[in-house]
Amino acid sequence: MGGGFAMTQQMMESNLLTPGHLACAGCGAALAMRYALEALGPDTIIAMPAGCWSSFIGIYPYTCLSVPTISVAFATAAATASGIKAGLDIQGKGETTVLAWAGDGGTFDIGFQALSSVAERNDDIIYVCYDNEGYMNTGIQRSSATPQGTWTTTTPSLALKSQPKKNIVEILGAHNIPFAATATIGYPQDFISKLKKAKTIRGTRFIHVFASCPTGWRHDPQLSIEVARLAVTSRAFPLYEIIEGETWVLSSMPDKTTVDKYLDIQGRFKTMSLKSRGEFQRQVDRQWAKLKKKCGINS
Amino acid sequence: MPCTINNMAWNRTGSWRFLTPILQDKISPCRDACPAGIDISGFISEVGCKDYERAWQIIVEENPFPSVCGRVCGHPCEGACNRKEFDDPLVIHALERFVGDHGLAHELKVQIAKAHGSETIAVVGSGPAGLSCAYHLRRLGYTVEVFERSPLPGGMLGWGIPDYRLPPTVLGMEIERLRDMGIKIETNVSLDSHFLTDGLREFRAIFLALGAQKDLHLGIPGEDLKGVLSGLDFLRGVKGGNPPALGKRVILVGGGNTAIDVARTALRLGSAPTLIYRRTRTEMPAVPSEIEEALKEGVRIEFLTSPVVITRLTGQQLQLECVRNRLGELGPDGRRTPLPMGGSNFLIVADTIVVAIGEGIDSDPLIQSLKETEAGIKVDEWGGTQIPGVFAGGDLTAESRTVPHAIGSGKKVAIAIDAFVRGLDRNQAQSVSLGSQGSFSMSSWINPPSETHRSDQVVTYEDLNTSYFEHRPREKVPQLSEMGRRIGSFGEVNLGFGEKAAIEEAERCFHCGTCNLCQKCALFCPDASIYLNIKTKAIEVDLEHCKGCGICAYECPGHVIIMENIP
Amino acid sequence: MKKLMMGTEAAAIAAKLARVQVIAAYPITPQTTIVEELANMVSAEELEARFLTVESEHSAMASCIGASATGARVFTATSSHGLAFMHEMLHYAAGGRYPIVMVNANRALGPPWNVYCDHTDSLAQRDTGWLQYYCADAQDVLDSILIGYRVAEQALLPVMINMDAFYLTHTTEIVDIPEQKDVDEFLPPYRPDCKLDVDNPVTFGNVCGSDLYMSIKFQRHRDTFLASSLWAKMAEDFHSRFQRAHPPVEMYRTNDAEIVITSIGTCAGVVRVAVDRLRDNGLPVGGLRLSLVRPFPELGIAGIAPRVRHVIVIDRDVSSGAEGIIAQEMKANLWGKGRDILVHGFIAGIGGRDITPDMVIEIVSQSTRGQGKAVSVGNSQWVEVLP
Repeated sequence: MGGGFAMTQQMMESNLLTPGHLACAGCGAALAMRYALEALGPDTIIAMPAGCWSSFIGIYPYTCLSVPTISVAFATAAATASGIKAGLDIQGKGETTVLAWAGDGGTFDIGFQALSSVAERNDDIIYVCYDNEGYMNTGIQRSSATPQGTWTTTTPSLALKSQPKKNIVEILGAHNIPFAATATIGYPQDFISKLKKAKTIRGTRFIHVFASCPTGWRHDPQLSIEVARLAVTSRAFPLYEIIEGETWVLSSMPDKTTVDKYLDIQGRFKTMSLKSRGEFQRQVDRQWAKLKKKCGINS
Repeated sequence: MPCTINNMAWNRTGSWRFLTPILQDKISPCRDACPAGIDISGFISEVGCKDYERAWQIIVEENPFPSVCGRVCGHPCEGACNRKEFDDPLVIHALERFVGDHGLAHELKVQIAKAHGSETIAVVGSGPAGLSCAYHLRRLGYTVEVFERSPLPGGMLGWGIPDYRLPPTVLGMEIERLRDMGIKIETNVSLDSHFLTDGLREFRAIFLALGAQKDLHLGIPGEDLKGVLSGLDFLRGVKGGNPPALGKRVILVGGGNTAIDVARTALRLGSAPTLIYRRTRTEMPAVPSEIEEALKEGVRIEFLTSPVVITRLTGQQLQLECVRNRLGELGPDGRRTPLPMGGSNFLIVADTIVVAIGEGIDSDPLIQSLKETEAGIKVDEWGGTQIPGVFAGGDLTAESRTVPHAIGSGKKVAIAIDAFVRGLDRNQAQSVSLGSQGSFSMSSWINPPSETHRSDQVVTYEDLNTSYFEHRPREKVPQLSEMGRRIGSFGEVNLGFGEKAAIEEAERCFHCGTCNLCQKCALFCPDASIYLNIKTKAIEVDLEHCKGCGICAYECPGHVIIMENIP
Repeated sequence: MKKLMMGTEAAAIAAKLARVQVIAAYPITPQTTIVEELANMVSAEELEARFLTVESEHSAMASCIGASATGARVFTATSSHGLAFMHEMLHYAAGGRYPIVMVNANRALGPPWNVYCDHTDSLAQRDTGWLQYYCADAQDVLDSILIGYRVAEQALLPVMINMDAFYLTHTTEIVDIPEQKDVDEFLPPYRPDCKLDVDNPVTFGNVCGSDLYMSIKFQRHRDTFLASSLWAKMAEDFHSRFQRAHPPVEMYRTNDAEIVITSIGTCAGVVRVAVDRLRDNGLPVGGLRLSLVRPFPELGIAGIAPRVRHVIVIDRDVSSGAEGIIAQEMKANLWGKGRDILVHGFIAGIGGRDITPDMVIEIVSQSTRGQGKAVSVGNSQWVEVLP
């Protein structure tokens, strides 16, 4: 295998996200939602906890989304989605997709408990975590999704984040839900096809989507897609699926490149020492080796 | 329950930006390098969409002879193709041939643009320059009469290029199309210098495209001995059905296309040709693929060798004394000067020696009164001679004597004649110039594009975003590969792309500088503020909402979108 | 049909009669029986509902909100720490105008750990915007849930039905279970105009500017304020059908009382016994039970107890550092009514300490004499505090 990821041309057909929203220029999370709605269509209801999205969706009484959405408390994405699904189901509208749409804060940290509970019960929702690797909305503070060595306002240059990124997909996989996967705005067709696949499955489906953040990661807004691509090609953010908690499938097999270019174009990694960079690369290599093994690939 | 009543479109986030995305087609390096100014990215895009008729229309906007050029053009476009930095350049000439042959097979017709006037223009010479000019003038609505001295039209294309490169039927059909358009081509017509004055009473303007059909001389002793032939005469003889007897050992002097054509022709006539060339392979002016084929077929080439003296050895045999060269400093034409190395002389025996070192213009009575330069007839930048209304172009005037240059020259003069007839300032024509090879865009002359859509910038490899392309080698053009069969006849050697290969190759095109509606911009906009307008079939920016993040510009594979500071 | 049952069972039956559609609840002593009974009913298909066994009370309320937003009738139950845990979501439910009915078993908050009766848990939530009703007995539990849904769905406000831990959750009483068809007539299905609906996609609860926020809060406050008369109206309708009254305020022998003893919950029953004994001794005493605490009902004290000079409030709760919450609320309600009334606040029964008729009589005595065994701190007098 080799040669990277082949893209085919496709036009975005749905217009369920309308312009005029308040996201930063170049926002990866906004893009992620466009792709999600493209995949899921208008028969979708969104439970959206506090985070970047609920801040920029629009000012009451206006909204940029053309699907029913409820802006809920921070920790409650999964629980609310589960309730919505139950309410629809009992009223005979069980076919409508219920989408929990939370950031990394609302998924990895404050919303983790509810998410684990919903996954354990295998409630019939799709949960998408748009990951910008920090509490961006409140001012770029660290979350457990922030990678090791990253600058944030609560892990300043002299005390960069010391812990590695929590592997949320692996954790969700361990709940034996029917479908868990990573995706990225850098490869929208892959994200869209994973969501379309998820839509055909019953039970808890979880997708962890990489969403570049020019504001928090300190990169030029025009590079939002490039950063996402580099994350995949350098294997800092591999693309894979876990089916039924036991079958691991790699979505792409990028040629081996180092993390250098990925780190270099983002200001949040600027103060990493050489030693930290080396450690970052080692982590990436280690995780990649483990992932390949789980996917049954020897080399 | 507090719920919303409307969307956020009223919020004009366009006020946030300080850079605005501007869509502007730019010049692809292939088009820049094409002397005929073909919209290469455009026609390849249509091949990719399987709309071969539209692809054909795009080519014939600029070049009337796609099937010919696809076979004989030296394709400088491929040397400039940005994809060469990624893996292999596109096989553009094979794609042009594919489209041209489709046009022939389906007898596609050319559209005449809206008639500008009913004047008649005279074209002297039916080579590529003359016919190109006639073609473009006819498209502009003029009545055109072409006068050809020899029995068949086509000029160099007809008698100067061997059948295995350009089958006569193909050329014939492409010329027939011009006749179908209403262009009158009269053969066996000789004109003298009175034509330049008398003719202007009958015709509104005259275009002289006599070509350069005289072989240059070596200028060495023995050149006029029997058995020493001129390359062009040789090819003419072969085409006319009267190939001269060559014998086995044939020496060719020269390094251009004619020399290679003669060599491969000689091979097919049963000889064993050796070509001597004064510099190395790198400096040979012949099309590189032609050199490659010649070597494959068995032509021997002696590089860094110059002829010194020809003498008669026996009744039938000649002897050529040669000297070895080394390359010195760069000369005025940008090539290193060959310097003979004293004491390296040696002798070769030959049955025939053919000299093909270049062409010059004939001393034709028609052009006696016109001033000359080293390149040919003296003309201004628009092809105008010292006589108002009399224009000249093609090999007759040019330093670059190739088929695409001739076609481009004919087109340029057609524009100049159109401006002349309509009393326009010819500098208006400058607005439709393209690239760095002095070519012009006829489609722009007929339908001037809006100012904002034009850019003269040529797109470089660094400008592109190649993330969307997989590495893939170029498609192989099928050939007659069995050497025995190949050199046993004058059948066409290159067989051209089949449909599948053409589409696969077309998909490799980066479309540098051309928006081909790939819609990566629309795909990656977080604000849904750039999209395809279905009605206008063009990409549109919602300036009220675009925040100027620049993702569209960065992701555009062809560098069509750039971010500008617009007040 | 009359049956012997605990208050928790009555609550479960009420939920079933109300045809609730989604239940999301987390068990906590002493509410557990409610959850277990409902699980049984759903599994036996006696009740057609979706039962979410959530992992916490915070998620329970979140799931209820989600379900309610789709237009389903939802039910949950909790107590004490569970209620405290869902505090954030209580604000959300009321702010979002979701007509959720929740049963809360009034239980003490730790530390120290104590599972017995105490009203601090729900009273500490009085600012959240939930309507709060305090039950007198098991029948009251069943009936008030039904009335609660009616009020909630008309006012579009959530309702908290409070029942004393162990006194009501774990004691058995005779309860009259109404017929399903009669309940259906009293309580039609929930059909909101505004809900999460793909045929009319809107966004609920997004960021709001201060001007609109203030207006939205004003509307809610006004609607909450008016819910007291709405409750009275619905209770009257209930009374006309089922011959049982559940007014916002219950008076006992107050029309000529000079002393009125105010309480909420089961304590009011003890107060009635004490009132009767004091009356036998010639003291003009009456009892006042507040069923509705939020909104605080307009008492019309001049009408119900024209001669009252002393209002004694027995609080089974405290706002630490201030005084008993009901005492505070009473004072606020009596202020400026042009009457010369003394309010005596007593704290008793905290953490499940039994309140007895003797204790009540002691309290009355201390109020009138001005001294007694209750310990004073500021305005509150604490009964039976260990030395």
